Amino acid sequence: MLITLIRRELLDNLMTFRFTAAVFIMLLLVVANTFVLIRDYERRLTSYNTAVEKHRQELLETKTYSSVDLILDRPPNPLSIFNLGLDKRLGNTLGVYYLYIPSLWDAGKHGTNNTYLNLFSSIDIVFIFEGVLSLLALVFAYDALAGERERGTLRLVLTHSVSRGQILFAKYISAMTCLLIPLLMCFLLVLIMLTTSTSIFLRTDDFLRIGGVIFTSFAYLSLFYLIGMLISAAIRRTSTALMLSMFVWGFLVLVYPNMILTAIETAPQADTETVAHNQIKQIWDEFDRERMQFLANDPVPEDDWDFGLWGKGYSFWGGRDDSPSLLYYNYSGFHFEELLEESEPQVPHAQNYHRFLGLQITNTSDRTWIVRKPALEALYVQPAKMERMLLKFSPVGLYDSATEAWTGTDLNGLQDFFTAGQRYHQAIVDFFHDKKVFESRQWFTGDKRGVDWNILPQFSFQRSDISINAKRAFPDLFLLLMINLVLFAAIFLVFVKSEV
Amino acid sequence: MIWHITKRELYDNLNSLRFALTTVLLLGLMLTNAVMHLREHPKQLQNYRDTVVRHENRLESSAADSLYKLAEQGPGRLPKKPSPLRFCAEGGETFLPDNVEGGFGRWGMDDLESFWILAYPPITPNLRNISPDVIKVDWGFIIGYVLSLVALLFTFDAISGERERGTLRLMLANSVPRHTALIGKLLGTLISITIPFALSVLLNLLVISTANDVHLSTEAWGRLGIIFLIALLYMCLFLALGLLVSARVQRSAVSLVILLLVWVVFVVSMPNTLASIVGGLSSPMSSDEFYERSWQLKRESEAEFFSRWFEEPKDSTKRIELGGAYVAKDAEAQQRLHEELLKQQISQMSRVRAVIRISPVTIVQHLLESFAGTGFERHLQFLENVQSYAQQYRTFIADTDQADPESLHIYGIRKGMSQKPVSPEAIPKFEDTLDLSKDFNTAATELALLTLFVVVLLSGAYLAFVRVEV
Repeated sequence: MLITLIRRELLDNLMTFRFTAAVFIMLLLVVANTFVLIRDYERRLTSYNTAVEKHRQELLETKTYSSVDLILDRPPNPLSIFNLGLDKRLGNTLGVYYLYIPSLWDAGKHGTNNTYLNLFSSIDIVFIFEGVLSLLALVFAYDALAGERERGTLRLVLTHSVSRGQILFAKYISAMTCLLIPLLMCFLLVLIMLTTSTSIFLRTDDFLRIGGVIFTSFAYLSLFYLIGMLISAAIRRTSTALMLSMFVWGFLVLVYPNMILTAIETAPQADTETVAHNQIKQIWDEFDRERMQFLANDPVPEDDWDFGLWGKGYSFWGGRDDSPSLLYYNYSGFHFEELLEESEPQVPHAQNYHRFLGLQITNTSDRTWIVRKPALEALYVQPAKMERMLLKFSPVGLYDSATEAWTGTDLNGLQDFFTAGQRYHQAIVDFFHDKKVFESRQWFTGDKRGVDWNILPQFSFQRSDISINAKRAFPDLFLLLMINLVLFAAIFLVFVKSEV
Repeated sequence: MIWHITKRELYDNLNSLRFALTTVLLLGLMLTNAVMHLREHPKQLQNYRDTVVRHENRLESSAADSLYKLAEQGPGRLPKKPSPLRFCAEGGETFLPDNVEGGFGRWGMDDLESFWILAYPPITPNLRNISPDVIKVDWGFIIGYVLSLVALLFTFDAISGERERGTLRLMLANSVPRHTALIGKLLGTLISITIPFALSVLLNLLVISTANDVHLSTEAWGRLGIIFLIALLYMCLFLALGLLVSARVQRSAVSLVILLLVWVVFVVSMPNTLASIVGGLSSPMSSDEFYERSWQLKRESEAEFFSRWFEEPKDSTKRIELGGAYVAKDAEAQQRLHEELLKQQISQMSRVRAVIRISPVTIVQHLLESFAGTGFERHLQFLENVQSYAQQYRTFIADTDQADPESLHIYGIRKGMSQKPVSPEAIPKFEDTLDLSKDFNTAATELALLTLFVVVLLSGAYLAFVRVEV
């Protein structure tokens, strides 16, 4: 009996005009946007490759350790085609210096084009599904029960020995099968376009991630179908059910996410920034006092930090004080291409000074990070988390953050890169200590023999493991599934109690 | 008879669920909008005032030194005045720069200092922004997205629903011409959506005008009136579309599906997708290329200049002339490069904006932006203001220098120019102004386009309804 019911429903749904029209529009949107997204990805990839090459070249031209600019580039994520997330928006270059621990908040950006074009937002695949797929689900659902009741066929069906639960189940299964068709067609189309593009390489686990996105989309779709069915079960007239469904859709998808974030301002505590900034400043002031003390106590009579070195080159000093990202440091040093003969006796003193300095600076930067990390967390991450939480009151928010987690374009996924950058920073500092780079002559002169940059630790970054993606997506996915269950139970209760 | 049908439609709608839901939705959105404006506008205004004060202080301190200092330092950062009507159309102002940099030291050596140029800083994307991407709820969003959806929800069953119920046949049995029936329906729905919309607008303006720091002038109220009329015209467009589809299609459910799909394609997806496609067709100078060229220009003129500069004896007139000419040439070349970049970017953007006008929501958003004094067109106006001010400023420097008999009249170098302090009152001050008639001019095409859309759809709806079998 169940099979008969399912078959009937399936045929009913498939033959309708709304199904054809919706599938057609979906495919049209997906193809057009995938085309745009792939091109955008390719552009970012080219920009990434150029930047990597440029930074590599710049490194090789550097003569001394102290003037080195180690810049890491973040590759664009090919799965950002599904959900762009933060992948395009956040910084994609990260400077690694021994002066501070690098973080997301210090990142820069290469390859900026016409910034006026930022006025337009990009539409990713998930965005299309959010809007169109949910609409489709509601259009299928609104007359599932109300329509049959109006036409009187519901009574007819119930005269057979079919339980109401079976009818609900059959309707659900068949409608979901129908909805799966456009969903899978879209994904298939995207995959075909992705694999024909020459610049995009998907690994095996990328396909699993896409599978995760599909599963999440399915849960989202089912949720909207159940919302429509609940309305259909509770309301007697189809036209009213349709109207209500559309308003619910408009509210959940269009109005709520935009309204809630406009209405509520999630600002961090007002003095977090200044307090942390002052603390960091103090740590550096302390460092400066110790530096002065060292210079006063060392065997060289003058307290100058350039030790009277002279040659072809320059000395530099400066600092950075960027309050919003709590970045504060000072540096001073010199860079010589050639050193005059009479400066040679001073070189050991300078080396001695830099040995002391290297140790002190790396210690200081570690200490500032202890203050900086929680402060940055409170300044930026907490408000953003709060905003995301507010968004999750709408299924759209849940769906969005779950798919972001799958594709690795959420905050955690991006942080992976910056964590790798921090590890690399540690490796570099360790390397400097181990190889006694700070006290070496190449720290400030490039005359005797240049630095062999190939022995430097190499940076490599792999996107996180699929299991980690799954773990990150799980809470939202779980919530989506739970809401599905609750809705189904609610429909059952309403339907069982209702008169036919 | 029209009035009869209108009244019937109106009564029908007033009692319906959709009317109640629309009212609640619009009131909520407009209230949110007002709250946001009250929170953000004072901050923007404060920011603007601070920059103005800095601009004036800078002029004063340079003027107290000498005319040369004024000519070298330039007017400083020139701020864009925030529009008091920003709540109507946010216009992506967060993605547009709010100032033009008029003078920062680029280089200096010996007794030569670089002269100021107008630099158009790109807005640095906020790389620390990890908040989710949402649309700010401004009137543009409420009218463009929500109101259009509501208009479709009010009309999708206007004709097909009556046909299904059989009341259409009944109505046409009376001596009612079909066009009367159609116009009656249109007016009835228009009025029934205008009621909650007007209510919510009133609530919005009431909340906004109670605040002390936000002051709306008479002109602003006029602009608001125009915006309201545009909203009605835009609503007519979607009502006509709804009637058209509703007349052509037998079942209301099918009509709604078609309408929603059309809505999704034209309103939500098309503007952004088309923008990316058209934007990709041309590629203006990238920032890297720009810096590269700027650097190259400097190196070229430097190489040519230094060979001659060091040959001349110190303090000779020839040397002063050379130095002045070099500084002036450098500033001019760099200025030209900046203008070129700006021109390329603007032309790319204008092309994109012209193409995406296929979507009615873009038209209405452009219109709202023009009348609210925000957005890209407004930014162009601001740039124009800045450029004409720069011209004025340069003329002022030249005139004052000419008036000083002790000056050598060699532009570009301290020794060649007037060294007397200048009275700060005499210096032209920058003020960013908005002109309603100019806004009308920029909006004219869009207004015509929107009207055209409405007329076409209305006649389409009429034709469809006349031919329909009852």
